[in-house]
Amino acid sequence: QHGRLKIKSTAQQEEEKRKEREKKLKLYVTARDVCFSQRKEGVLDEEALQLTQQLLSSNPDFSTLWNYRREILIAPGDCEEDDVQKIYESELSFVERCLRQNPKSYGSWHHRGWVSARLPRPDWVRELSLCDRCLSLDERNFHCWDYRRVVVRMSGVAVDQELRFTDRLIGSNFSNYSSWHYRSTLLPLLHLESPEPLSPTPQLAKTSPRTNSHRVCEEQLLKEYELVQNAFFTDPNDQSAWFYYRWLLGRAEREEMISCVYVSREEERVAVCFSKPVHAVGLMLVLDGQPQQVEWRSVHPRLRHSPVWVCDLPPATISDIGNEHNLTVHWTENHTHRDCALYTGRSQSWCRDSATDLELFRSELSVEKTSVLQSELQTCNQLQELEPLNKWCLLTIVLLMRALDPLGYEKETGFHAVCLYGDLCSKFIIENTILKMEYAEVRVLPTLCHLDQLLLVTHINLSSNELERLPPQFCMLQCLEVLEADNNSIVDLEGVYQLPKLEEISLKNNKISKIEDLALLASCPKLRSLDLRGNPVTQMANFLSDIAKLLPSVTDLQL
Amino acid sequence: QGTQIKDVVIKDDAPNALILDKHADYIAAYGSKKDDYEYTVSEYLRMSGIYWGLTVMDLMSQLPRMNCEEITEFIKSCQHECGGISASIGHDPHLLYTLSAVQILSLYDNVQALDVDKVVEYIKALQQEDGSFAGDKWGEIDTRFSFCAVATLALLGKLDAIDVDKAVEFVLSCMNFDGGFGCRPGSESHAGQIYCCTGFLSLTGQLHRLNADLLGWWLCERQLPSGGLNGRPEKLPDVCYSWWVLASLKIIGRIHWIDKAKLRAFILACQDEETGGFADRPGDMVSPCGTAVRPSRVSRCCDLQLQRNVNQSPANSGRRHNFKQPPQLSRKFEQSVASSLTDVDQLPSALLRVYVQAILAFM
Repeated sequence: QHGRLKIKSTAQQEEEKRKEREKKLKLYVTARDVCFSQRKEGVLDEEALQLTQQLLSSNPDFSTLWNYRREILIAPGDCEEDDVQKIYESELSFVERCLRQNPKSYGSWHHRGWVSARLPRPDWVRELSLCDRCLSLDERNFHCWDYRRVVVRMSGVAVDQELRFTDRLIGSNFSNYSSWHYRSTLLPLLHLESPEPLSPTPQLAKTSPRTNSHRVCEEQLLKEYELVQNAFFTDPNDQSAWFYYRWLLGRAEREEMISCVYVSREEERVAVCFSKPVHAVGLMLVLDGQPQQVEWRSVHPRLRHSPVWVCDLPPATISDIGNEHNLTVHWTENHTHRDCALYTGRSQSWCRDSATDLELFRSELSVEKTSVLQSELQTCNQLQELEPLNKWCLLTIVLLMRALDPLGYEKETGFHAVCLYGDLCSKFIIENTILKMEYAEVRVLPTLCHLDQLLLVTHINLSSNELERLPPQFCMLQCLEVLEADNNSIVDLEGVYQLPKLEEISLKNNKISKIEDLALLASCPKLRSLDLRGNPVTQMANFLSDIAKLLPSVTDLQL
Repeated sequence: QGTQIKDVVIKDDAPNALILDKHADYIAAYGSKKDDYEYTVSEYLRMSGIYWGLTVMDLMSQLPRMNCEEITEFIKSCQHECGGISASIGHDPHLLYTLSAVQILSLYDNVQALDVDKVVEYIKALQQEDGSFAGDKWGEIDTRFSFCAVATLALLGKLDAIDVDKAVEFVLSCMNFDGGFGCRPGSESHAGQIYCCTGFLSLTGQLHRLNADLLGWWLCERQLPSGGLNGRPEKLPDVCYSWWVLASLKIIGRIHWIDKAKLRAFILACQDEETGGFADRPGDMVSPCGTAVRPSRVSRCCDLQLQRNVNQSPANSGRRHNFKQPPQLSRKFEQSVASSLTDVDQLPSALLRVYVQAILAFM
C-alpha cells in the first residue's frame, strides 16, 4: 500500500471500481469463512490447501492461513518420503509465486524457511539461486538477505564465497548499503587478526559475529580501505561507503577499567569512576590491607548503571589527618584494581593518570597504527579539496584528527565540527578540557556529556549555553564546590543531588518556576550561597519564607 | 556524476496546517466501514489497528467517541486458551496483537478484563533458549517480538516473569557495525527495528550498552532534503519513519539532531485534505490501515514541536491549529520518552502506555 500515487477519478470510474470491489469482497469473505469453519472442524485436506492458496495469493500477510497450511502439511499421513518431498516442493513453488507478487511479506519468507528446513532432500543450491534472482530485482530486500543468510548457514557456503558475492554487488553499484552491511559481518570471520584455529574453509557460525570485538588483519584492512575509497571518490555523497569506512577505521571495544579513585578524609568517602557504566557488583575496598565492609551506591538512585560509584567508610577510620592510608579498589569481575594513597596532612587524594585520559577518548579510532590513520587522513584531505562542502568527508576528517592528536588538531576539528554538529563540538571541547585539566569553561552546549570524567572538577561554569536541565548524571561531579550555570533555560535540577562539597550555585536567568524544583538542593549539606535572580520562581508569593524553610543552610541568597 | 539522492519535492500548495477535525472523523468512520474490501483484508492486524486509532483519538481528546464496551468485549473474545491474543476472531494468537490488546486495555485502565496470568504464561513460553522470542508457536524469531514481550510484561508489571538478562543478550547480539539493529543476528539495520531495540533496552534499563553517538548519527542521517525521514540509507522518505526514527532519537537523547521544522512541514504535506488521514509521502494515496497510525505520529511530532515552541516563548499559548492537546498528556509523552534512564517500574502505567508504541506489520 505504500507508494501509491493518488489520481483523481471520474464518477463513472468510481462506480465501476465500487462494483468490482464488492464482488471481490464477497468472494474473499466467503472463502475466508469456509477456511475458518473447515479448520474448526479439523479438516486437513487438499481442498483446504487449495482454498488457503487462493486467499494467500492475494493476501500473504494473513498469517493464520499460513499456520493452517503448516497444520495440514505436518498432519500424520501414510506418505512415503518421495510423496512428502513432492508435497513440500509444490509448497515451495506456491511460496515462490507469492514472493513474486509480494517480495516483502514476512509471512511468505518465514513459511519458505519453515518448509525448506523440513524438506527430506533439501535443495539449497536452488534456494541460493532464488535469493540471487530476488536480489537482482531489489538489492535492498532485507527479507531476502535474511533468508540468504539462513540458506548459507544451512548449506555451509564458505565465507569467502559470500564475500565475493558482495564484491560483485558492490562492483556493480557502490550505493548498496545491504552489501556493505553483509561485508561487515563476513570480514571479521575471514580475516581475524589473531587467528584461532580455523577450518580451511571457514563457515558462517551459527551465532552472530560480535562485529565489534573482532579485528581484521592489516593486509585485508588495507585492501578494504582501497575498495571503500574507490566508492567514496566515485560518489562522495553516497552514505553507504562512509558508514562502512567509519566502522573500518575503528572497531576496538574499549577495555573496561577503573579510570579514577578519589578519597576524601572529611566525608570519609570513596568515589570510583569506571570507563563505562557498570552495575557495581563485585567491588571490594581494601584499606591498609584490611578488606572493608562498605555499601557501594550509584551517585543517583535513578542511575542503576553508572560510571561513578561511592561508598562511605566506617566512622573515624581515616578522619585523623596525622595518619597515612593506602587504599585499593578491586573490581573482582574484571580482575583489575586501582591503588590510591592518602598521605599525612592531606585532606583528600586521588589516583588518575593522563595516559588513561587519552585512552578514554581516542579509543574509537586509535586502534589502528598511526601511520595508517595518517595516510587515511591524507586521502580524505585530497577529497575535501575536490569537494569542500561534503559533510561526510568533513566528519571523517574530524574523527581522524581526533584519533591522531586531539589537542594538536584542536583548531581544525573545532572549526569543522561547528559546521557539522553542535553536539560533536561540545563533546570535543569537553574532552579537550579534560585532557588539559583546565578550569572548565564551556560554550554553547545543548547537552552535557562525559560528566563521569569530571569527577575531580571543583568549579564548573556552564553559563550561556542552551541547557534545559541538569540531568541525574550531573551528580557524578562529586568534588564540585562552585556551580555557575547562568543564562540557560534550566527548568530541572535533578542532578544537583547529594553533592557533598557544593557550596555555591549561581542560576541567574533560568526558567525555574516552582519551589518544588529546588527541593533536591536540600540534599547538598554544604550549600550556603544561591543566586536565583531572573527565575520565575522568585516572583511567587511567600517565596522568601518558603525557601528559608526549605534550605536553612543557605545564608547568601540573591533574588 | 554520482547517484541521485532519492527524495520527493513538496509542492507549494501542500497542506501546511494540521487538519485535526478531518483526521478525527476519518478514524471515527474507519471502524464503521466494515463491508469495505480494504478493511476486510486488513483483518489480520485489526487489534493493532484499533490501538493506533484509539491512541490518536486519545491524543485528540476524542476517546469518548469510541465504543469502549464493544472494544473490550472484542478483545476478550480474542484471548485464546493458551493466553495469547489474536488480531481478530478466528485468527491465531500472536505476540504482536497480544501487545496491542494490552495497550488498548491500559488506555482504558482495564487490563483486568483479560486473564492476565495466562497472558504472562503465554509470553514466558515463547522465550527461546538464546533469550530471543518467537512471535507465536510457529517459531518466527525477530527483535520486534522481543520488544512486544517486554513491553507487554512491563505494562502488566510482570517483567520478572522472563529471563531478562538472556533477552538483553539476544537483542545486543543483533547490533550492527553502524550501531543499529536488525530482525535477527546479522540482519541489516532498519529504523523500525531500531525503535524496537532501543525501546527494549530502555524498558530493561540497558540503554548504556548502546553507542548512542554512532546510532544517533545513523538515525539523524535518515533526514532528506525534503525534511522527510527514510528508514534505511538510500531509500525514499515515508511519514511512518517520523515515528520510528524520532522516537529512537528521543530514547537515546539525540532528538535535537533532526531539523524539526522541516520534518514538520513534510508531515503536514502528507495530509489528505479531502478525506483526512495521512499518506506515506506527499501526493500518495492515504492508505487505509496504515493511516490510522499516522495521525498519532504526526500529532506527537507536532506535539513535540509545540512543546518546544511553548518552551521557547511563554507568550505562545500552544493552541495553534486549533490543537486542543490536553497539556498533561503532551508533557507525559515528553517525560515518558525522556525518562529513558528511569527504572521502568517507577513509571506509572499511564505513562508507559503512551511510551510503549505499537509495532506495525509495516513495509
